Amino acid sequence: MAPVLALAIFVAAFWFIATERADKVKTVLIAAALMAVLGLIPGERVFYSEHEGIDWNVIFLLLGMMVIVGVIKQPGVFDYLAIWAAKRSRGKPFRLMVMLMLITAIASPALDNVTIIMLVAPVTLVVCERLRIAPQPYLIAEVLASNIGGAATLIGDPPNIIIGSRAGLTFNDFLVHMAPAVVVIFALFVVLTRVLFRADLRAHDVNLQQVMALQERRAITDTRLLIRALAVLALVIVGFGLHSVLHVAPSIVALVGAGTMLLVTNIDVTDVLPEVEWPTLVFFMGLFVMVAGLVHTGVIGTLGAAAASAFGENWFLAATALIFGSAILGAFIDNIPYTATMTPVVEEMAAQTPDAETGRALWWAFALGACFGGNGTAIAASANVVAIGIAKRAGHPITFWKFTKYGIVVTLLSATLAWAYVWMRYF
Amino acid sequence: MTSAADVQRNEAMQAHEIAVNPPTVRTDDPVAKAVQVVVVNRLPGLIVVDDADRPIAVLPGTQVLRLAIPGSYQDDPALVRTVDEVSADLFWREAGNLTVGDCLPSPVAKPATVPPEATLLEIATVMAKKHSPLIAVVDKTGRLTGAVTLERLLTSLAVAGPGD
Repeated sequence: MAPVLALAIFVAAFWFIATERADKVKTVLIAAALMAVLGLIPGERVFYSEHEGIDWNVIFLLLGMMVIVGVIKQPGVFDYLAIWAAKRSRGKPFRLMVMLMLITAIASPALDNVTIIMLVAPVTLVVCERLRIAPQPYLIAEVLASNIGGAATLIGDPPNIIIGSRAGLTFNDFLVHMAPAVVVIFALFVVLTRVLFRADLRAHDVNLQQVMALQERRAITDTRLLIRALAVLALVIVGFGLHSVLHVAPSIVALVGAGTMLLVTNIDVTDVLPEVEWPTLVFFMGLFVMVAGLVHTGVIGTLGAAAASAFGENWFLAATALIFGSAILGAFIDNIPYTATMTPVVEEMAAQTPDAETGRALWWAFALGACFGGNGTAIAASANVVAIGIAKRAGHPITFWKFTKYGIVVTLLSATLAWAYVWMRYF
Repeated sequence: MTSAADVQRNEAMQAHEIAVNPPTVRTDDPVAKAVQVVVVNRLPGLIVVDDADRPIAVLPGTQVLRLAIPGSYQDDPALVRTVDEVSADLFWREAGNLTVGDCLPSPVAKPATVPPEATLLEIATVMAKKHSPLIAVVDKTGRLTGAVTLERLLTSLAVAGPGD
């Protein structure tokens, strides 16, 4: 009875989250409360079990990175870079698009996608409006680039944070296994944008003078703050690289980095704390408890065993299913709840593999599929939703299908390339 | 039988007695119209209502101004600094054909409202809490019946107070 009850609560909550019929934070809190009150997950497990409760490593890693990002965004470095890029492009549409994609794709592995989009989208709108070109293709290309770039590291995309914590994969593991695939896929994606957006990239009669009038140097008023913030960020990334050697959890690296950032930049804490996305953190906590209900009642174990037996000993088939299944499912539902739900299932599957290497191959297949699935539709990742909201408020709406028609192509391309990468490297 | 408290309450000034009938706008009205309504009527703010005349938002004057600031600049002070002086003087023209609904913050804060029988103290606390010099007065169905401005409230408080 308990598994049926847990599954019913989970499916109902997931339906509300996927269809956005109710606030997602409220939904997960109600579902988590029901799981706990009905005894589907014991109270102490909620707080003290890594595998059947809230994954505090994920929560505090996100919190630490949100504080770091809250400081990094203050000096206006992204405004400077985007305006500089616009001037260097001399108003040539494809050159401008490539430079903006490079900025987002290079920054995404170090900072989170949503913040990058929140920083780059407004300046993109201003530049495009001044050039008198439609900003939508540039915004869409930036979102696609940030979702691809974010897949490269442990901290670049929320699915990776969840997977890394659950599977015990280090920052360097992600760099070694995900980054090579991401670099190749991003390069091919840039070539593809020339074809995908060809109608929008025709030479226009642009108003370059208006862009040249922008004064990007004024964006950065506090060079000392900028240098200190970038230095701490560099140290945090080195810390992530060494966390497995130093036996320090990534969340501790992020928290120490956040504290150091506040200390050396002398920035007012009250200016930074509002930058922390508290509803997102609460959403993650509720989500973990929801999934814990499924784990504790044995639903996930049954699913994982069934999935493992369905593929028999054919682990390449399992990896294929994880890449394409995650890309497709992750495209139609937000890839964060999808990853949180599927992670324990993949853990069960990985446990059945004959050796640790094969188990890890399944994790990489899952991570690549879940991250690239975020490009599939307008609602597949938070960065997509944020960019569409910013565009709408500026009077340049991006419809669901306008985004999705590009997103589907890019997801198919990246998932297929990821599949070829997994095949060649691990099987 | 009427209690002493009821008598006192009936003698005290209430929201409906000091309310004015301000012009309102709807979400599909252009931002330019919203700004015009505030300027022409010398209002301290603006009430945005739905088709059933229920307030969707009560915007202090500063937030009406925010409607006219292009969204790209609103949360990015570094970007604002990069704009040259000539363009900076003309920022409000960029609102173009945008409607009030396009420019309202998302999510919209719960409108500052009081019932018609609210006392001056109730109005004052809502005004102070919401940082709004304009409060909508709504009936039991949530429909707008009037509005209390900061000026009206302060004048009423002065009149209601003990004479010198």
